[in-house]
Amino acid sequence: MKNIIVYGADWCPDCHRSRKFLDEKNIQYIYLDIDSDKSIKSEMLSLTDNKNIIPTIVLPNGQILQEPSNQVLAKALNDFKSVSSDNEVIDLVIVGAGPASLTTAIYTTRENIKTIIFEKAVIGGLAAVTDLIDNYPGFEDGISGLDLADKLEKQAKRFGTQIEFNTVKKIELLPNNDKKIHTENGDYVARAVLIATGTDYKKINVPGEKEYLSRGVHYCATCDGAFYKDKEIAVIGGGNSAIQETIFLTKFATKIHLLVRSSIKASEVLQKKLQSFIDSGQVIVHLQTNIVSILGDNQLVNRILIKQGDIKQELAIDGVFIFVGLKPNSEFLNNSSIELDQLKFIKTNNNLLTSMNGVFAAGDIRSGSTMQIASAVGEGATAALHIRQYLESLKSY
Amino acid sequence: MVKNITVFTTNQCAYCHMVKKYLDNKNLKYDEVNLDNEPNRRQEAISLSGGMTVPVTLVTQHDDSRHVVVGFNLSSLVPLLS
Ligand SMILES: Cc1cc2nc3c(=O)[nH]c(=O)nc-3n(C[C@H](O)[C@H](O)[C@H](O)COP(=O)(O)OP(=O)(O)OC[C@H]3O[C@@H](n4cnc5c(N)ncnc54)[C@H](O)[C@@H]3O)c2cc1C
Repeated sequence: MKNIIVYGADWCPDCHRSRKFLDEKNIQYIYLDIDSDKSIKSEMLSLTDNKNIIPTIVLPNGQILQEPSNQVLAKALNDFKSVSSDNEVIDLVIVGAGPASLTTAIYTTRENIKTIIFEKAVIGGLAAVTDLIDNYPGFEDGISGLDLADKLEKQAKRFGTQIEFNTVKKIELLPNNDKKIHTENGDYVARAVLIATGTDYKKINVPGEKEYLSRGVHYCATCDGAFYKDKEIAVIGGGNSAIQETIFLTKFATKIHLLVRSSIKASEVLQKKLQSFIDSGQVIVHLQTNIVSILGDNQLVNRILIKQGDIKQELAIDGVFIFVGLKPNSEFLNNSSIELDQLKFIKTNNNLLTSMNGVFAAGDIRSGSTMQIASAVGEGATAALHIRQYLESLKSY
Repeated sequence: MVKNITVFTTNQCAYCHMVKKYLDNKNLKYDEVNLDNEPNRRQEAISLSGGMTVPVTLVTQHDDSRHVVVGFNLSSLVPLLS
């Protein structure tokens, strides 16, 4: 196949946008910078009737697009299998690429249901950023989150799942029952949608939290823990994630102050593991303790102000890791007709169907889910079977 | 044009994995500095990104201009990789 050619310049924002669009869809092209050589510019002008507009994109079939929007580009490219267009209706779009999503995709693509996943951050979701998953069946010694994510991704891709980096902004029900998925890279139309967007860490909203983000304030132990080798840190939270992350951080930090608002709520297994670090003095637990502010020298965090009852006290530490619970990734549904519960998790019926026809939800984002990888995977499989049924029901009309 | 790319990573950081996978898929060569193996280079990553976080990707262009991308951030990374 002939190549796509993009004429552009480094200073041109629309050129960057078009190239990003092609890059994210893994579409190969040749980039020619019109500023790098006069002959390139004249070559472009000879193709465009002297219209000096960039980006100018020449498609393999000879079609020439000048300054196209992403939608126009997508439409023109609909020969490429990874690109949807206004004309193509995808069987299933999945929002998010965590364990629930990847499981659904394994089932659906294996049955030739064309499936595209949009993921805004990491393939594998929250599971990928967890260091060791000890309770997922089938791995007697546990498995690292990254390895599990990798295996799920490979298995889904083996059957033909397409995963694109893209953020979904809105889901709209069209009059013919198809769903329009508005994304950062344009709109797509699908017969069925699965929302599997999971949750993200909550902020604590204290002074210093925003100012020192990544400079002493962290939400991901596997990402940033290594910077605290031989240092003293604080961990905020008392649930499963906080305790699991504290245990992980003992690999690096010499001393960890665990600040718990009330009492430790983590599972017994985790509490038992934690106990050995408490006994050795590496972890110091401060119960009934709130963090008031995070302080530093304007560059990096060097202490925190904490409050236990009426007593306020400063603790000298090098960093704070915050794990105070999770909030649902459902902001993009705020103005849609998909019903959420009081905490903004998605309501579904027993078939994992939301209040919008043909839109399903599975995993941590679903109201009432048990927030475990094994259950997310189970819900992913359940959703796949109901989605298949839904798609079949459309054919019989 | 890109002259070279260096990615600061740690073993278990999922976002580092994503940056490496992205560059691998694009057939772009890069040097990896794994801070778990080379902890003495942590300060280098901190100076580049201004923070204590990975991944940090340093893209040096042919004119020797240096650009730093923190995290797995395609909208900042892709325009640098022409
Ligand atoms: C520290 C920690 C430790 C844990 N340990 C364990 C454990 O040991 N065992 C266990 O069973 N469970 C564990 N869990 C819970 C487990 O990670 C989750 O239950 C599981 O990952 C949920 O899967 P999911 O597919 O529902 O969502 P997620 O894994 O959260 O994935 C959702 C994905 O959707 C993406 N997304 C969100 N919004 C959008 C959008 N608008 N557009 C595109 N993409 C979007 C996100 O980027 C994310 O990648 C742990 C969780 C944490 C935080």
